[in-house]
Amino acid sequence: MSRYAIALDVGGTFTDVILADRSGGALWVTKSPSVPSAPAEGFFGGVDKMLVEAGVPVSDIATVLHGTTVATNAILEGKGAKTGLVTTAGFRHVLEIGRAEIPRAANLFNWVKPQRPVQARHVFEVPGRVRLDGSEVRPLDESAVADVAEAIRSAGLDAVAVVLLHSYANPTHEHRVGEILRAALPWVEIALSVDVLPVFREYERAIATTLNASVQPVVGRYIGQLAEGLDQRGIGAPLFIMKSNGGTCPPDEAARGAVHLALSGPAAGARGAAYLTAEAGIADVLTVDMGGTSADVALIRGGEPARTTQGRIGDHPLALPIIDIHTIGAGGGSIATVTEQGAIRVGPESSGADPGPACYGRGGTRPTVSDANLVLGRIPPHLLDGQIALDPAAAASAVQQGVAEPLGIDLLTAAQGIVDLVDSNMTGALKVMSVERGLDPRNFTLAAFGGAGPVHGAGLMRNLGADRLLVPRYPGSLCAMGLLTTDLRYDFAVTLLQRAGTFDASITEQYLTDLQARADARLDADGIPPERRLFQRAADMRYEKQGVELIVQLSSEPVSDAALAKLVDRFHALHQELYTFSDPAAPVEIVNLRVEATGQTGRITLPEIASAPSRTPEPFGTRPAALSAPLEPVPVYHREALLAGHVIDGPAIVDQLDCTTVILPGQQATTDRLGNILITEGAP
Amino acid sequence: MSTSAATTAPDRFTQELIKGALNAARAEMEALIARTAMSPFIREKKDYFTAFLNPQGELVVSTALTLAGNLVAAELAEYPAATMRPGDLYWYNDCYGTGGAVSHLPDMVFIMPVFHQGRLIAFAEAWGHLWDIGGSVPGSISPHTTSVFHEGIMIPPVRVMHEGVENEEVVRIFTRNSRFPEMLKGDLKAIMAACRLGAQRLEETVARHGVDAVEASFEAMLQETEAALRTQIEDRIPDGDYAFRDRIDSDAVTDRSFFVDAVIRKHAGALALDFSASDRQAEGPINFLMDDSVPKFMLGLWMTMDDPGIGMNGGFERAVDRVLTRPGSLVAPRFPAPLGLRSHTMIRVTSALFGALAQATGGNASAAPCVYVLYYLRGRNEDGTEPLCIEGLSVGFGARTFADGIDAVYYVAQENYPIEFAEMEFGVEIEAFGIHLDSGGAGRYRGGCGIVRDVRVLSDAATLGIRLDNCRQPAFGVNGGLSGQPGRVVVNPGPDEWDIATMSDGNQLKKGDLVRIITPGGGGWGHPMDRPAEDVLADVLDGFVSEDAARELYGVELDGDAVDQTATKARRAAMPRSDMMFHRGVHYDAADDRAEL
Repeated sequence: MSRYAIALDVGGTFTDVILADRSGGALWVTKSPSVPSAPAEGFFGGVDKMLVEAGVPVSDIATVLHGTTVATNAILEGKGAKTGLVTTAGFRHVLEIGRAEIPRAANLFNWVKPQRPVQARHVFEVPGRVRLDGSEVRPLDESAVADVAEAIRSAGLDAVAVVLLHSYANPTHEHRVGEILRAALPWVEIALSVDVLPVFREYERAIATTLNASVQPVVGRYIGQLAEGLDQRGIGAPLFIMKSNGGTCPPDEAARGAVHLALSGPAAGARGAAYLTAEAGIADVLTVDMGGTSADVALIRGGEPARTTQGRIGDHPLALPIIDIHTIGAGGGSIATVTEQGAIRVGPESSGADPGPACYGRGGTRPTVSDANLVLGRIPPHLLDGQIALDPAAAASAVQQGVAEPLGIDLLTAAQGIVDLVDSNMTGALKVMSVERGLDPRNFTLAAFGGAGPVHGAGLMRNLGADRLLVPRYPGSLCAMGLLTTDLRYDFAVTLLQRAGTFDASITEQYLTDLQARADARLDADGIPPERRLFQRAADMRYEKQGVELIVQLSSEPVSDAALAKLVDRFHALHQELYTFSDPAAPVEIVNLRVEATGQTGRITLPEIASAPSRTPEPFGTRPAALSAPLEPVPVYHREALLAGHVIDGPAIVDQLDCTTVILPGQQATTDRLGNILITEGAP
Repeated sequence: MSTSAATTAPDRFTQELIKGALNAARAEMEALIARTAMSPFIREKKDYFTAFLNPQGELVVSTALTLAGNLVAAELAEYPAATMRPGDLYWYNDCYGTGGAVSHLPDMVFIMPVFHQGRLIAFAEAWGHLWDIGGSVPGSISPHTTSVFHEGIMIPPVRVMHEGVENEEVVRIFTRNSRFPEMLKGDLKAIMAACRLGAQRLEETVARHGVDAVEASFEAMLQETEAALRTQIEDRIPDGDYAFRDRIDSDAVTDRSFFVDAVIRKHAGALALDFSASDRQAEGPINFLMDDSVPKFMLGLWMTMDDPGIGMNGGFERAVDRVLTRPGSLVAPRFPAPLGLRSHTMIRVTSALFGALAQATGGNASAAPCVYVLYYLRGRNEDGTEPLCIEGLSVGFGARTFADGIDAVYYVAQENYPIEFAEMEFGVEIEAFGIHLDSGGAGRYRGGCGIVRDVRVLSDAATLGIRLDNCRQPAFGVNGGLSGQPGRVVVNPGPDEWDIATMSDGNQLKKGDLVRIITPGGGGWGHPMDRPAEDVLADVLDGFVSEDAARELYGVELDGDAVDQTATKARRAAMPRSDMMFHRGVHYDAADDRAEL
């Protein structure tokens, strides 16, 4: 009987794999090395390892879920396909000009404009113009399009984005350009802006569409390899890929809308945290996913990860609806340096996976956050149950020579300083993530995961004054866990400008019905039965003259004048909540309409762990650690031995396969029925 | 200067933690302003600034924008420190009344003193550019003002909140003077709340690390910045006087150019920046009431740019001993000279400093940037509606000694409007928006290119105001680099085209007219024939440099889409190399540039 779901989150160093019995009960967790040069190899390394460990026949696998960095890396490293852009005559430099700004934190004298995903030499103009209201000012010059096709052929481009002005209002020209190019250049991947991001703001739309075009071939090839490999193994189960919006999609959609995978991995982490905290009865959460080179911070409210349409990927804006994730250069591999003036910095420079921190013994000599943690005894001298031995002497020597000596301080003070600084950097990111939304971080639970998150979680919680800290049962595999808890999710949007006083219920209904029909067609193709489809209608709204919109939810009933009046009320209320003021007398505009479509795929039920026979668990032993003052023997627990109801008073350390949880003096840690550790200051 | 603190200096880590906490607090203050302010200038253009200052008024951490004066001195003159209380909030925008602490009226400064056990330990500060504060035109700024009284209401240093209680009468008087009072109230609330948040965060930092550690860290941050700049000055600027004059096209009121003179004087370890030979003040609004800190911060940011850990703060001011100006001059105008377009002179202070620095360092300074452009298109329709289009447009910045100048850039942190937004809101159609070909000065490093924006008037009639500099006096090049190309404003390009003066207002247009605004490019750095031929080829392929310019200016001969290496080598070998330091139309040395071009 096919009842298992397998989830693979392929990161830069490790692939996390979870196999779960969807009806509850059995859960297997493992890790295998990723293969950055051949990502599909890493994927199947994980599949094969799991199949052996779990001993489950392939015919019993019902679903394959996957979070991937293939699109992310292609974008960040500029290794997408050789891509071109076709745009409206007069706008060849739409990408080069961008929004004409220097980032606020930059020094204007040394800032250099980042490279765009397409060079201007590969941007081609076609005459023809439509207006904001959809009317045609000048017809499309089809012979010019044919010339462009020829130019694309001779430039040897593999992918082309088509972004015409106001195409969201009237896509006829854009569709026609697509048709002509597809006919003339069947081997070239084509992305139309009306398919990728049919909303106004030409620069952001052009970036999204060109990024999509450039990663389409890369993702398409990769997806092909996955399909082939699954087939070879006799795994007939459908494959779903994680998108940045927190939902999944099938392979064909992933290949076509490849830019939607840009934040596939981190979105899965936020999703997993949302699921776990909801199961634990916690609605408002700040999450920090700290790995080797960076930390991802996200916000969960009312059980749902906060989303944004103003995200970024590398140097580019990403105006698609995505889970709002703020990334900073703070990880276990972040390097500590002392400047000539004697100032100390930790990160964003990282030792990466190779050579890695000094304690990995692979040639790294500069002190990192992991080295500091090892010197302080916060992490054990081995990882993965002894599969990887760490080198405490190398760590001590790196911290001593890199930080302690230049500053004339002792080793432990230097190591503690490195930990405090990286905590301070992450605290800043967590504060901005909450404060920018008018939220007080003290009212939130912090969830810390990723390989390095649980070591730092207790310090972060203390810095923030947060209520409580949740460390999931498998902190290193939370992204894979998140995959198991997702549904299919698609976002459809279109620009329809309606000024105050000109709202038209029937046109609005017609646009939303059209969007919903597209969503239905998509879910039909996915084989989702109607009773498992959810649709959320929404409108992007703003006060007249504002340049930023809020997404306001609309009920599912047919749009009426009364419904639109309610929508306006909701806009004022939301504006009040987010921005501390509203102006019910001011004119309000609708700019975009949206339909968010969910296809429920059946979630797993997490297995519960056994109840503890007594309140206090027995420590496995002690190890010298400096959790407050000097090195002293600190009780060490094994995570696997912690049962529901166990309570540990800090200072204490909990080791597990791939990470360590630190409990500071004065804190108390309780294990819940799902195996989460919940830490509070004093008794809860 | 706090000397007692030095004796209890905290360890380096605590210092870094305090610095981190202050910067995080500033980020929170800015987030709060961005989130709660109401006007487009703050919400969209992000025209605001936050800082913490020590009790002497020295910046400790701040936004890296070189426009702040001594923000506290004027307040202290009116309200001595001994009279200040926790929960007080002080406010002003009075440029002349504060000796240039702010440089044009729309910038509203709010300052909150922070106490520890009754003792003043710091100030939290925020300012923002408010949308309309009265004056002769909507938006308060126009190229045609001839007095600061035309530019809106002046608030001298006042106490807008006393021990937490708001002086609501002052706010009422102020907002009554605006065409958009509700918007102003929203912005005021936002900035005032940001100051309170900043003060609270600083108090929390003190509670955590102790007042001694915080005060000592303030001092350490200032000293770190001071030391970094002093080291750079000592290493890079030999003793001597280095003078440079740069020029502004016009003040929009009289038809003559103006000049800014900068002299870097370094003697026996002391550095002075002398602007006292600058032109007399202007009738039009380009006057820049320059606080001493402005050129110091410019110099500091340029000289320490390679160390991202060095924050802009009062340490830069300490490292430069004197700034000299002459009352009645363009950079020290007398009340009530208008100030609304002071950025035209402010950017020229930057470029004049670069020119002086170039001479001090054998050309190791940036070429000249252009100043951003704004146009004001006031439409009129027969149905009585009057669409107003105010757009900021980008220009080219000067080439650096290590990189090309920035293409198509406005200024720090400020964004342009998308075409699809402008067409939605402004009653115009943008028919083209591209790079101004060949506008960036040729050089080993190319000057940034300006842009071309074609704006079709859709209203029945419209009046156009425009402020576009660097047309008669294009941005200069350095060390063999050529000057940038000027901008231009032309109506209905073609056989019947006509030009609009680049600094003007009151230009009458009718429905269907197409206004082409061409913005200028920045100066180049280094000899163009030293630019790698492949980079020149890339610029040609990408539409920044024409084939003609590649051949004539860079000596690069192209063969289709490739460089003809042999012909290029021959051509470059035959090109003359001027050893004069500067270029504006012709190569020249600074000493020769006393006549207007």
